[in-house]
Formats: sequence, C-alpha cells, structure tokens
Amino acid sequence: MIAADPGATTRAGGASWAHVAAAGTDPQALAGIVERAAADPRGFATDWRRALHTDDPGSAIRAAGTQAVLPSPTGQRVAQAWSEGCVRVALAGDPAMPERLVATSAQPPWLAIRGAVRRRDTPAVAIVGSRRASAYGRGIAAWLAEAAGAAGVHVVSGGAVGIDAAAHGAALDTDGGTTVVLGCGHDVAYPRPHAGPGKLFERVVDAGGALVSESLPHEPPRPWRVRSRNRLIAALVDVVVVVEGGSRSGSLVTATWAADYGITVLAVPGDVRAPGSGAPLRLLRDGAGVCGSPDDLLAALPQGIDRARDDVAGGAVPDGPATSGLVASSLPEAAAAVLAEAWPRPVTMADLAAQSNVAAGTLLAAITAAQVAGQVTRDLDGLRLCRDPHR
Amino acid sequence: MSAGNSFTVEVSAGPASDTSSRVLARVGAVALTGLAGAMVTAEAVVAGGLPQIRIVGLPDATVREAADRIRSACQQSAFSLPGAKVVVNLAPAGIRKVGPGFDLPIALAVLCAAGHIPPDRLDGIVAWGEVGLDGGVSPSAGTLPVATAARRNGAGRLMVASQALAEAALVAGLDVVGVDSLRDAVAVAAGHRSGARPGPVAVSHSPHGPDLAAVRGQHVARRCLELAAVGGHHMLMVGPPGCGKSMLARRLPSILPPLAHEEALEVAAIRSIMGERVRLDLRPPFRDPHHATSTAGLIGGGSGVARPGEVSRAHRGVLFLDEVLETPRATLDALREPLETGRVVLVRSQSRVTYPAAVQLVAAANPCPCGRAGAAGRPCTCRPDQVARHRSRLSGPLLDRIDLHLAMEPVSQDVLVGPSSGESSDVVAARVVAARALATSRWSEFGAQPSGPRARMLTRDVSSDAVRASTGRPAQRRLARAIEAFGWSARAFDRCLRVARTIADVDGRDRVEPADVDEAVAHRVDLDGPS
Repeated sequence: MIAADPGATTRAGGASWAHVAAAGTDPQALAGIVERAAADPRGFATDWRRALHTDDPGSAIRAAGTQAVLPSPTGQRVAQAWSEGCVRVALAGDPAMPERLVATSAQPPWLAIRGAVRRRDTPAVAIVGSRRASAYGRGIAAWLAEAAGAAGVHVVSGGAVGIDAAAHGAALDTDGGTTVVLGCGHDVAYPRPHAGPGKLFERVVDAGGALVSESLPHEPPRPWRVRSRNRLIAALVDVVVVVEGGSRSGSLVTATWAADYGITVLAVPGDVRAPGSGAPLRLLRDGAGVCGSPDDLLAALPQGIDRARDDVAGGAVPDGPATSGLVASSLPEAAAAVLAEAWPRPVTMADLAAQSNVAAGTLLAAITAAQVAGQVTRDLDGLRLCRDPHR
Repeated sequence: MSAGNSFTVEVSAGPASDTSSRVLARVGAVALTGLAGAMVTAEAVVAGGLPQIRIVGLPDATVREAADRIRSACQQSAFSLPGAKVVVNLAPAGIRKVGPGFDLPIALAVLCAAGHIPPDRLDGIVAWGEVGLDGGVSPSAGTLPVATAARRNGAGRLMVASQALAEAALVAGLDVVGVDSLRDAVAVAAGHRSGARPGPVAVSHSPHGPDLAAVRGQHVARRCLELAAVGGHHMLMVGPPGCGKSMLARRLPSILPPLAHEEALEVAAIRSIMGERVRLDLRPPFRDPHHATSTAGLIGGGSGVARPGEVSRAHRGVLFLDEVLETPRATLDALREPLETGRVVLVRSQSRVTYPAAVQLVAAANPCPCGRAGAAGRPCTCRPDQVARHRSRLSGPLLDRIDLHLAMEPVSQDVLVGPSSGESSDVVAARVVAARALATSRWSEFGAQPSGPRARMLTRDVSSDAVRASTGRPAQRRLARAIEAFGWSARAFDRCLRVARTIADVDGRDRVEPADVDEAVAHRVDLDGPS
C-alpha cells in the first residue's frame, strides 16, 4: 500500500507508523502530528483551529506537526494500539480522508478508520436517536436502515445502544452497508454491549462496513467528545433522520450540525406523550421534513433515489420478490400472512400464534429458522418481517 | 456423687423390681440433626438429694424445661414422684438434644424410675411427644424423621401422640402406638392398654390448585410450561406486569406427574421438622417466597442447627420466585449450588446438616424497572443503564442453568373476552406423564446417572454426554449454526440441546429433528434484546 518510509521506522514505534498510515498518508507526518497532539492537546487544538481557517488545513497542520517534539513513549503506544486494532489513520488533506468531511469544515486533523469507508458518490443517510429507545423507535430505525441499505444507501450512525444499534444492525448486511462514528478511541470498549468478538462492531467490520474515530485510541467517551463526533455523522451523509430522542438528546446536536452544513434533516413522528418524542417533535416544529416510511427517506436524497432503484436492488437479491420467497421458505403461510398484514408493525408471539392458528411448537421452530435466514427480527414488542412484503 | 457409680453396678445385676431407688429406667428417643436422627437413651434414676428432676446429657433449653412440665403433668395425672432427686441422663451425652419431643421419653423414664412402670416393659420402646402441664401428650415437630431413625436402628415400638399417629405410620415396618395423655402412656407401656393404632395410610393425590384451563390464549406460554413439566427444566418468564406470569407458574404443579412414594416421604419429612401437619401428599409442593426473603430464608439457616429454607420446602416441587430481579443478587447466587446438586449443606458451629433441595425453579421478572418495555401503548421510561442494571441482577451462572426463557406479552382484548379454549390440566398432565416415561426409560438405557440424590432422572439433570449421545449429528449441526447466528455463547448449546430433547419426547419421537432444535432456540429468548 505505502512504501515504508525509512525515516518513519527510526521514529518512536518502529515500523508501527508505516502500518498505521492510510493509503497516501505520510507515516512520518502522521507520527509527528499525533505525537504533538498527544503531548500538547491544548496547543495542538489551537493550531488546528487556526489551520481550519486556512485554505489548506492539511498542509497547515503538517507544519505544526513537524515543528514538534521528540519521539515520546505516548506516541509509541498510540501507534501500537492502532496497529494492533487494524486501524488506518488518514491525515487532513490526504486522499483517504472522506471527501465529505473535506468538503465541510467538519474535517478532523486525522481520522482513524477500521474497515472500508464508502466513496463520496455513494448516497448516505444518518439514522440517529436516543440510547433510551423504545421498541417502536428501534423497530422504525431498523425498518428505515434495512430499506435504505437494500436501496444501496449507506447508513451512518453513532454506534450507541438503542436507535443507533438498531440502524447499524439492520443495515450491516445490506448493499448499502454501514459506518459507525465512534465517540471515543478505537481501543475503548464503549458501549460495552457492542465491543468484543462477535458483537456489533466486529460484525460491522466483517460485513464490509467501517468504524471511524477522530480520537486517540485510548480516549474515553466524554460528553463533549461524543457531541463533537455528531458533527462527523452529519457531515458524512446526505440526509439525517432523527428517529427518537428526548428534548435534550444528542441527536439534536447532529441535526443542528446538519442544518449548518446544508444537509436535509428528517424526523420520525412518535407518540407525542412519550419522553422519547421530544427531539423529533421539536425538529418538526422547526421545519424538519417528516419521515413516515423509507419512501420519505429515499425521496429526500439529492441523488433522487426512489423505489425504482429499490426494486432493482431487490431484484438482484437471489431469493426474488420478498413475499413469495418468505412464504416459500420457512414460515407457515398463515403466519407469514399475519406478519405481512401487520407490516411494518410488529406482532407479538402470542398474537401470532393465536391469529395464525399454527401449533405453538411448529410456529416457534419456523420463527427460529426464519430468524437465522434473516427474514424475521424479534424485539421486545414482537416479531417483524425484515423486508417489506408488499414489494 | 458416689451413688452414681453404684447404679451402673445395679444395672448389670438386672432389673430390680423391689425397690424404686435402685431402678435404672431406659427409654429410647431420637436426637435430630436436620433430617438425620441419632438414637438416644433417656436414663433415669432416683438419687439422693432434694426432690427435683434434673436433666443432664447436653439438653438445650427446651429439653431442660421438660423437668417442670413433667413434674406438673405427673401431679395432674396422680402419679407420685419419689421424695428425692431424679436424675435423667440423655446418653450419649455428646449429642445436643433439642425440642419438646424429649418430654415423653423423659417422663416415661422418670415414671419408671418412680416405680409406675416395670423397667422390662420399656425395652425397645422409643417415645416422641410433648407433655403438657395437664398431663396431655401432644405431637412434636419431627415425628416422621424420628420414626425413620427408629426404624433404621431396629426399635421395636414407637410411642407418639395419637395426633401424630398417621405421620409416624408412614414409616413401614414399625410398631406405632398413639397415646393421648401421660396416664394413657403409662398404661400402654405397662401393657394394661393397647393404645391407639394407626389406620390405613391416607394418600392425597387429587389435583390441586388452579387449573390450566383458565389460561386464555398464551399458546406459546402453554407449550413452554409443558416442556418445563416434562424435562424438569428451570424456567424464566419475562414480561410486563399483568401478562399472566404468576398465573402460569401457579399452574405448573397441576401438570407435573404425581410424586413417587419415596419422594413424597422426603417432602413429608421436611414438613415434619418444620412442625407442620404431615400427610402423604403425592402432589408436588409449590413454594413462592416473597422477593425480600433473606438468603437464610431461601436456602436455610439459623444458629445451632440450621433449619430448612424455601428451596428445601419446595423439594421435588416448584420454587417460584416472582420479581426475581428485585431479589438481591447474593441471595440468588446462593441458589446455584442447590440447583446444581439437588441438596443444601448448611454448616454451623455445632452441626452440619444436609437438606434435600431438588427443585424446579420458575422465575418471573419485569423486562425493565418500570415494567413497560415492550408493552404496547405505554412507553417505557427507563434509562438504558437502569435497564442494564436491572437485568444484570440475574447473574450469568444462574441464568445459564435456566433452560427455558419465556418472553410474555399481555393478552389482547379479544382473547380475554373470548371463550376459554385451552386444554385443562388433566389433558396436559397425561401427555407429561407419557413423555416423562419415554425420557426416563431412555436415560436408564443410556446408563445416565443423575447428579445428586434424586429418585428420577430428568432431562434437566442428566449428563451432557448422554444428551449429546441421544441426539443425532444433523440436529447438533443445526443448533451450532443457529447459536452462531444469534451470537450466543457455547454454553447455550447444551441447554438448547436438552430442551430439543424434551420437545422430541413431548411429541413422542426418539429422534431429535432439526425442527425440534429450532423450537428449542426460540424458547431461549435473549433477555438483553437485540444486538
């Protein structure tokens, strides 16, 4: 990928910086900037703010980096941690830095990337919301993410529990794929349920998605850091959808950044009495678009993706149109019909058994088979088909 | 003091019927440590000194108090006591004697020493009962284990209060006689009267408690309950308040097979030492301790000799823990060993007792602190960390022992007002009996040994090797794939395979089909929800 710079290998961290630098990033410059940032965070932040006002922040910050410091043990640890975490780091102004970030003022001095970042011409949406999500919110987030992903739209979110997790989980195996923008360093196991082997973050990377972070590997998720990464989420997409959140939710921060960058903001209406409806309600009052279905979301994309694209993408899936595939494969016909009729609302297991009149044992076995095949998802509020059965 | 030595000399010289001051009376009794009984002899002799009854041989306070009760009872019954000190020794003196059950043997020994009963008439008699100030004899806790110990140690005859006659008569091969008063006891012992004899052993096995027919809808929950009954699987129900969790749990005993005779005796023995009225009851016990129950209350405890806890009182039956996540985690973790071994060993400074505790655990919990997660209509107001803390109370090791996880939802309106369509407990119980017979015969064929002291082999308890050997490769491969897809730990494999085995048993099949495995996986809902 990159010819190892002999100069870099002599610096702290040995060969690590060469491994860590993304394609087109100079390991020596990266080492200098990161070591300076680690040694003097405040001074570096000032330099970066100054650099952002220049025409070429990348070059400006490189100048700050080279005037830096002696090789430090901290720099060595950073390089090692990134290297062991299979993380590549791109500097501002480098080709590996996502173009969307360069185009907005959201660009960080560096971006630590695990996995593959999508090209700029891939349409992308952010599906964000509260950690304290209701089953309704999670269901809607998954529905939107699944449909967007199936239409080839990339799904970006913050990797938190609740809405973020539902969106990532539903999108990770789709054509569109998903990117997690972390609010902490790559080395920090946060949120705990998503870190570790076989958990959400691993699955995202395995499915071809990406985990990105603007933090050093060990930096914990402080509130200001998490809010700051919301600007990256907003900058990385064409449309931001706020699914659920309290009146002081961080998703409002994301929406505000999106408005600053001129990016469309949609909100999903919820139960107006519920605490989780505060953020969408406020956004709708402030003039955000209404997102009542994946159609609304896709229609809001500037690329003009509509359901025609969806059908093409759907046709490319080997098992053909969803309804027939579903009925033919694992669910008893009566149960599939109940789920299809309720779509996109979930059906509780008890109601499904009662309405479909299928023996409980048979039904449960079929549900598992359908879950393993990725046709049905199960949440606290019941079962739901993964794909729109009417298409 | 010097007189003490001369008594033993007199004893070896044989019974002396002429003079009351030289009689060494001996009556059998039993010192209970938990359920285990050790034979004790109450020896009495009239010694020199001021008139009193003195009890030695490590009596506890209740036994020491027997002296006053017996003195009064003798007066009320018009038995004269010697005008000198009567020394009663409970031999061997190294074992602690507890409980008013020692009243009757001590009274008989004292009366024998006083010359009211010929000493040879007391040979081989074991007595157990409490004596009142009026001379009446009433039952004392622990009659059944006392009878068992007496039988095992070759006692010929057991004298108890006539109210405890039926209880003592549960032990076969023992001559049991019931008495109502001290006069009665003396007459029976002396052979003037035959005393009350036990009638035929009354067995109650009629189905009790609420019937399953009252459960509307809930087909999945019913299925889960039936599997629990067949395999003896522990079960966890998660659902919002009012969805019928405890209603369902209370109906589990009604579909469990009746207890075997020996099992019913074990249950009766626990009831007996708790001082409850004991009958031979073939219905599995059902215990539902409050969630604020202490660790000692749940697994047993107390100083001196530990008493059985709820887990032992539910032995061979169902232990229902409602609101299980409100119970402190340390208390729940104390359940792990009983669930593993089927018994509780409680060690105290003066004793080490073992109580049986082969229970089927049924636990119920709300999905989150406010209880509304997943309920349609009302939104849940809990923070994610509150929910996480709520759920973490059920520790991993305990959760791993629970095979069936049932997510319950509130029943919809039309099901509530519609006709009750479910099967009754009798119908389900018949299927359970048949399926259990299938499982039991298979496990004995496999030579599978249940861990712990258990009469029956349940699919819950057989070794995992036996479970694997009895399920085919295709089913196991299917399970491995499903577990990978759900991201579960390898520990789920064994539990799911057991449930799949039970499912095949319920459907009367010897082969475990891939569909059985699929259903078993659906019975293990992830408490943490998606991802």
